[in-house]
Amino acid sequence: MARTTNNTTKHKGVSYSRFGYFFIAPFVIAYSIFSLFPLLTTFWYSISDMGSLTAEFWGFGNKEVYYDRYLDLDAQEVDLSAAGVNPDDYDLIRAFFKIQDQTDKIDPTEEEGMQAIIDNGANDYISQDTINKIQQCIDDKSMVPLYSDDGTAVAELTAFHENYSDATQDAVSQLSAINSTLTGIVDTATSDAEAAAEATEETETVTGETILASDDYTEFVASLDSLELEDPNTQLVIDYLTTYTGASSLKAYFESVESVEDPMFYYVVSRLVTPNAYMADGTEIAGIDVPFASDVETYLTDNSWSDTINGNTSYSQLASYASGEIDISEDQGTLSADLQALNDAGIISVVALTEQNGALAASEDASNNIVKALADIAAAGPRTDAEVNASKADIHISSLIQYDKNIADKMSDIKAATGKSALDYITFDGDFDVDKYIEFKTIVGLNDTMTMDWYNELDQTVKEQNTEKYTQALADAQEQLADPDLSDLKKASLEGTVMSATAYLEDPTGILAKVDKTSMYLVNGLDNFASIFGQETRFHKVLGAFISTAVMWVIGFIPQILLALLLSAWFTDTKIHLKGLGLMKGLMYLPNVITAATIAIFFGRLFTYSTGGAQSVAQIVLHAFGHESYNFFASTTAKRCIVAFINFWMWYGNTMIVFIAGITSINESLYEAAQVDGANTSQTYLQITLPLLRPIMLYTMVTSLIGGLQMYDIPANLFPKVNPTFKIGNTSVGGIDTILMYINTQAFKVQQVGVASAVAVILFIVTTILSILIFYLMRDKDASKAKKLAKKGGVK
Amino acid sequence: MANNSDNFKSMKASRTAYSVLVYVVVIFFAILAIIPFWYMFMNATWDSFSIQTGIKLWPNFGNMHQLIDNWTGLTSRSTFSFAIGFKNSVIISVSATILTVYFSAMTAYGLKAYQFKGQKTLFAIIVGVMMVPTAVNITGFYKLMDAMNLLGTKWPLILPAIGAPSTVFFIKQYLDSSFSMEIVEASRIDGAGEFFTFNRICLPIMIPAIATQAIFSFLGSWNNFFAPSVLLSKTENKTLPLMVAQLNGDRFTDYGGIYTGLSASIIPVIIVYIFLQRYIISGVAAGGVKE
Repeated sequence: MARTTNNTTKHKGVSYSRFGYFFIAPFVIAYSIFSLFPLLTTFWYSISDMGSLTAEFWGFGNKEVYYDRYLDLDAQEVDLSAAGVNPDDYDLIRAFFKIQDQTDKIDPTEEEGMQAIIDNGANDYISQDTINKIQQCIDDKSMVPLYSDDGTAVAELTAFHENYSDATQDAVSQLSAINSTLTGIVDTATSDAEAAAEATEETETVTGETILASDDYTEFVASLDSLELEDPNTQLVIDYLTTYTGASSLKAYFESVESVEDPMFYYVVSRLVTPNAYMADGTEIAGIDVPFASDVETYLTDNSWSDTINGNTSYSQLASYASGEIDISEDQGTLSADLQALNDAGIISVVALTEQNGALAASEDASNNIVKALADIAAAGPRTDAEVNASKADIHISSLIQYDKNIADKMSDIKAATGKSALDYITFDGDFDVDKYIEFKTIVGLNDTMTMDWYNELDQTVKEQNTEKYTQALADAQEQLADPDLSDLKKASLEGTVMSATAYLEDPTGILAKVDKTSMYLVNGLDNFASIFGQETRFHKVLGAFISTAVMWVIGFIPQILLALLLSAWFTDTKIHLKGLGLMKGLMYLPNVITAATIAIFFGRLFTYSTGGAQSVAQIVLHAFGHESYNFFASTTAKRCIVAFINFWMWYGNTMIVFIAGITSINESLYEAAQVDGANTSQTYLQITLPLLRPIMLYTMVTSLIGGLQMYDIPANLFPKVNPTFKIGNTSVGGIDTILMYINTQAFKVQQVGVASAVAVILFIVTTILSILIFYLMRDKDASKAKKLAKKGGVK
Repeated sequence: MANNSDNFKSMKASRTAYSVLVYVVVIFFAILAIIPFWYMFMNATWDSFSIQTGIKLWPNFGNMHQLIDNWTGLTSRSTFSFAIGFKNSVIISVSATILTVYFSAMTAYGLKAYQFKGQKTLFAIIVGVMMVPTAVNITGFYKLMDAMNLLGTKWPLILPAIGAPSTVFFIKQYLDSSFSMEIVEASRIDGAGEFFTFNRICLPIMIPAIATQAIFSFLGSWNNFFAPSVLLSKTENKTLPLMVAQLNGDRFTDYGGIYTGLSASIIPVIIVYIFLQRYIISGVAAGGVKE
């Protein structure tokens, strides 16, 4: 009875509708927090001053830490004492960040290297105690254990390194130098290409012909006869090159040059500029002034160098050889041939020159001659694992020694002033630990002084000082300009002062802006968008990302939808009555459920290109059909087609299943009616199936488009990642950069959060427009017509 | 009559030829769909040298121990740990799936069973936000996670699963087509509370829709690459796809090891697929046909 009463009251007093809010609340809250709020903040970032947000964005809860680290007040010539900070204390802060920077750069705790030292074990130089300390370093991911004594461990490691000699080791250190040379060249080539894109029409491009036709060239060749040499030994270089070129004289050689693309030409020019040659007593032979040398370099950097380097099999692996990750002896032949080719092309110098009996000759000294070092390695045959490991250990030891060298005096300064080891507060895992730093800052006694308020105040003070200075300068300059007897030169200089002072006074900046600017953070308002649409290079990149994404989507989607239509028509054709429909569907849908990243890596391996012995499937197939090897990674079209094929291959099964479902849901009576009217199969398909399938096709198209615009996994994983210092890696990926890859790079690699957000907003807008468009196309026309009529009161 | 019969015969012959063509094409594509995986598995049993000098479409019967060698070579690397990746992926995917289906079912039920103010608008918004590209808010999301101190943890990949508009939409579609409010009313008359009714009576009825959505949610979470690649940086936090991406360094020339790692990463998904294939395919079919 009581129960009934209860029920009655409930029915009377309680409206169930309010429960609806409880049921939807978790969804609404979670969606608002994790999707809507980030979306809105992304919009906000796209129009905000990320200069000030970046410090927080990068995990610095305390913004002053950001300035502590990146703003060097000494370099800004700030009067610290006046601002209440002891300059000596401040030096400790700088020393701390020098150590931190070195730690981030060298990564002394790098596990593989440390492990190699441990595996190498205790020996004549390294005690078991030190080995234990290194093990401790790995476990703690910290260098503190190694430095827990008065330098014995480091001294032991140094002793090992000094006494360790190995042909491989020599080659490795040479390779490391070559690696940085090549990286430099490719960097120049990349930045030159970017600069060229930005260059105005006025800039003249250097061509092979202009170099040979230039006055500099003619004058220099003419002057070769009467060349006055600063260093008499340089004559040796000229003689050597004359012999090398096989011409009667160097002048004759230069006169006979037809193309600067001839590798020998650059070799000769570069040897003249930086001969890299030594007398028997070790004195260096000076170079001579070759006025057109830089033109030759620019020209080659823009053109043939990148190609030559790209054509090199072992180039992309050079960093791995240089760091000992790949054993040189494994691939000694290819590497040797490639280096020889680079040397012959004059790109790198692996053969140093030395004086022998008054004439220059290629050095026989192994430490100067990497080709010879490699030959030694080859002659010695394959090395044992222990030898390889010892070499790896030594590589890491040499970076530890470098690390120690770079931080030693900073460490002792800090130790002397605070009595503590700086390493206790250093972050070793690359993820800067603010708390540890704050602890250090407190010990130094600056934590309460150097606050954000302090920085703002300092900023204000500097701003005021500068304003005063510039106002004074402006007044002085204007006063002097009033003088009618001014010389033109003086006048121009004063006008310059007026301009720069006016510019500063219009927009006065303090010291904080210095780091914001050097980090290239974009500032406020629509600047992020302006930089996308206004800066030519950036615009090309963003547009390029949109285009390559769209192109890859289209060339994948067209065959995908056509094949899905064909297969779905067959699978639903009652006349053929295919057997094993379920199995076929199951097999064809399979690629869609597999991790896209895995698939991308797999396909990347299928298309690898190598001029050495290694062959990928694609190359083997090409050879079987009698074709030459083809570098798929070098062609944008090939790369895009591979990505498009993977997309097609992963998605046609999905589309097919959707279409089959769509076709089977079409009312059977329509087909029966068509049959009665004598329509044949193709007529039925074109007149009934296709029109009724249209909404589903459009739906497929929208979902595929939205997914396609967010393409990331496949293009990002398709090609082997290379060492980040290798720009060549990035250039080889060019052409399949998608929008999301651009956003990712901007936000998390180059820290242009504002730009990344702005591109995200553009992507959002494009997607929204396309979705609305498709929704409009998909709407049920008959139903909306009926609705309109009903509104008018015409029907019912 | 004879003419007719000839006609019939030739029609029959051409139809047979047509059928043969259809079978050839269909079988070709079926093979195309699986041959890469087959090739991947086979390569996992060969050494790097053999892989790079020929196409291996059969297992390395001569030396099956090579597979174990590949595996040990692979797992000895500090940047690749199948166990850690697998564990992280399972934790994230399972938690995310449970949260997604439970809260989506709850939301869909809330939209279906109660008439409240703004109900229609809310549903329209849910349909609308389904079209928002999920990746565009990445900078905002990263910043938020940073502010919440959740970077480097699994939470940023689990918690957002509570708000999954498309799952809500599909479960709502299911409720619209096959759920009757009478059962709710009956339960109310029996004195059951609203949440009791949902958890004990309505949730079991929704199982078919929930199961389908659970599969898709799990696969989506398992295969997710972009968000984890941005949010997780340390090896001990990485999911399986991120571990696999580690194999893609060009310094890593152990092809046998790479293929073994790739194979290992897809085997869990293939096993799931073999067992749930029927549901997955009917789920795809149901998702595409809008009625």
